[in-house]
Amino acid sequence: MQRRTVLMGMAAAVVAPAIVRAQGSDELRIGAPLPLTGPLAPEGQKQKRGYDLWVKEVEGAGGFEIGGHRVPVRIIYSDYQSATPRAVQACDQLVTQQRVHALFSPFGSGAAKASSSIAERYRVPMIAPTASSREVYDQGFKYLFGTFTPNETLTEPLGNMVMAAAPAIRRVAIFSRNDLLPLALSAEMKKSAVKRGLEIVFDEKFAIGSLDFASALTQMRSADPEWVFVGGYVNDLVQVRTQMRDLGLKPQVLTMIAGPAYEEFTQALHRAAENISSAAWWHPAVRYEGADIFGKTENFVQKFLATYSALPDYIEASAAAAGAILQLAARKSGSLEGPALRDALASLDAMTFYGPISFGPTGQIEKLVPPVFQIQGGRPIVLAPTSIAQGDFRLGIT
Amino acid sequence: MQLAQVILNGLLLGGLYAAMAAGFSLVWGVLNIINIAQGSAVVLGSYVAYFAWRYAGLNPLLAVALAGPLLFGAGWVLQRFLIQRVIAAPVLITLVFTFGMDLILNNSMISLFTADYRKIEGVFPTVPLSLGSLTLPVDRLLAAAAGIGAAFALHVYLHKSRLGRAIVAVRMDRQTAELMGVRVEIIYATTFGLGLAMAGVAGCLLAAIFPTSPLNSAYYLHIAFVACVLGGLGSVLGAVAGGLLLGVVESLGALFVGAEYGTTVAAVVLLLMLFTRPQGLLGRAGYE
Repeated sequence: MQRRTVLMGMAAAVVAPAIVRAQGSDELRIGAPLPLTGPLAPEGQKQKRGYDLWVKEVEGAGGFEIGGHRVPVRIIYSDYQSATPRAVQACDQLVTQQRVHALFSPFGSGAAKASSSIAERYRVPMIAPTASSREVYDQGFKYLFGTFTPNETLTEPLGNMVMAAAPAIRRVAIFSRNDLLPLALSAEMKKSAVKRGLEIVFDEKFAIGSLDFASALTQMRSADPEWVFVGGYVNDLVQVRTQMRDLGLKPQVLTMIAGPAYEEFTQALHRAAENISSAAWWHPAVRYEGADIFGKTENFVQKFLATYSALPDYIEASAAAAGAILQLAARKSGSLEGPALRDALASLDAMTFYGPISFGPTGQIEKLVPPVFQIQGGRPIVLAPTSIAQGDFRLGIT
Repeated sequence: MQLAQVILNGLLLGGLYAAMAAGFSLVWGVLNIINIAQGSAVVLGSYVAYFAWRYAGLNPLLAVALAGPLLFGAGWVLQRFLIQRVIAAPVLITLVFTFGMDLILNNSMISLFTADYRKIEGVFPTVPLSLGSLTLPVDRLLAAAAGIGAAFALHVYLHKSRLGRAIVAVRMDRQTAELMGVRVEIIYATTFGLGLAMAGVAGCLLAAIFPTSPLNSAYYLHIAFVACVLGGLGSVLGAVAGGLLLGVVESLGALFVGAEYGTTVAAVVLLLMLFTRPQGLLGRAGYE
């Protein structure tokens, strides 16, 4: 009896992915677990705006073209309240109950990594629009694709820029949220600093959900850093910057990732945001001529502006690009079946409004060049690459 | 000098912790109820301050005059008509009861206000005060002073007013107090109301410094619990001492062990205290 039960269980495990994939194609269903509430809500809402704009664009074009037919697109959202375990549960439910054809990953490297095993298990392609850490992609998974380049592509140009503007800088402080992306960014920042002969005088982590940073910042102030690098998300970074000001901590260079690209960051900090440097995977100033539904970058920016009365940032652009990329892959495969769609994504080599799209062997995007920027006059000004630079690097913070 | 600044940071933080712990300690001491909903009540106080600032431009330190009475009323009614029904039950029953209250209150706040962080801005000067080489952020200084002030006011009320003396009498010997004509059920309701009022006050002070979200409630409960046990059950002054000690221990822990281990160090100190002085700093041995 027991052996029969075990055999039946094993058979069910083998057959389940096939049953799950036996989906109708009267519409394209995409599962999108998002942190729509909780500490990561600002980021989650951005991802949603990017998806929604893409869906609006597809509807405007008469639907999603697949095998010579046009079908409507439906994104099924699931709010995981910024709790990663719930994001994994949401992915499972979206695949097994909602029978989605593809998944857009939850926010950030940590949640994307945790939920990517669901995509792999059920052979449903997952596009991660907000995961950059190599650790997400080095799992040997075949169904995961990411639109962010590895973290060193952010810290290296920043290192070059700071050293060019202030070659006398020697002392660096690194402060990071104890989370996958911020830790990975900090590790890359450390490598970039050491490579340039800089001394790491402070290197600490803070727990997720921390509200008070006064003690750590006092310690940082005593170390007298000339360059402070903080890794975290927008709510953390706003708190850290406010408490730096409260304690009179004023390094020559303050770099924060990821948050300064968002409007709410500058709105929350006002003058305290001035001269904070950062880097992101995309900026409205970049110029590409894409083969995707948005075409030129300017066109995407205009449509976003018309819809939301705000300029898009890199999360919103990357989320919209996830949809555009899926569309290009489906056009190539002519099928919504997971393996066919996956193969088309793996071999994709196309230009989009977001930038050049081709995925490496691990599924992470290659070729994209992330811009470096600084908050000047209350808005992000691109400093690199030089082809799209809008201003020069400034030293000092208020 | 770094050490002095870190201790000062801890004391400023501890002032807020004191306000959070005072009400929790009072309820635990008098009613023998571990109010798991205290953290959510603190968050509710923060929302009162936030919305009073957002829609009426009220300074969060003045919002205590709004949040305190509001939460006192809610606490009084809640105790008189609901908790009173299970007050005689074993402590586990009241613990589960307040746990349920916490779930309802916290999820209601998530549903009504969402879990997003909201922050009061532009109320206090952003340039910190300088005391030699020490730096004093104005908002923290005022909020910490108000927190300690509120706890002392509660202490004075308990020892000088007629109702306060009755609360202390019930805490010391409920049956004798009852025989002396004290209406215990009214004292219980008043005490629970005072506990929540202090949570409301603490919430307003916290909203002046930190962003508000229902997600903070578990952290606030943890603070109230640890500060209360460190200081001694049922003692308002003990809660102040416990809050200040906890703030300093967390800050020193972050300095000497690492920024992410501040709360871990505080938990270790709590365990040491339970081993060596289980009644807490100002608690009375043998009191239940």
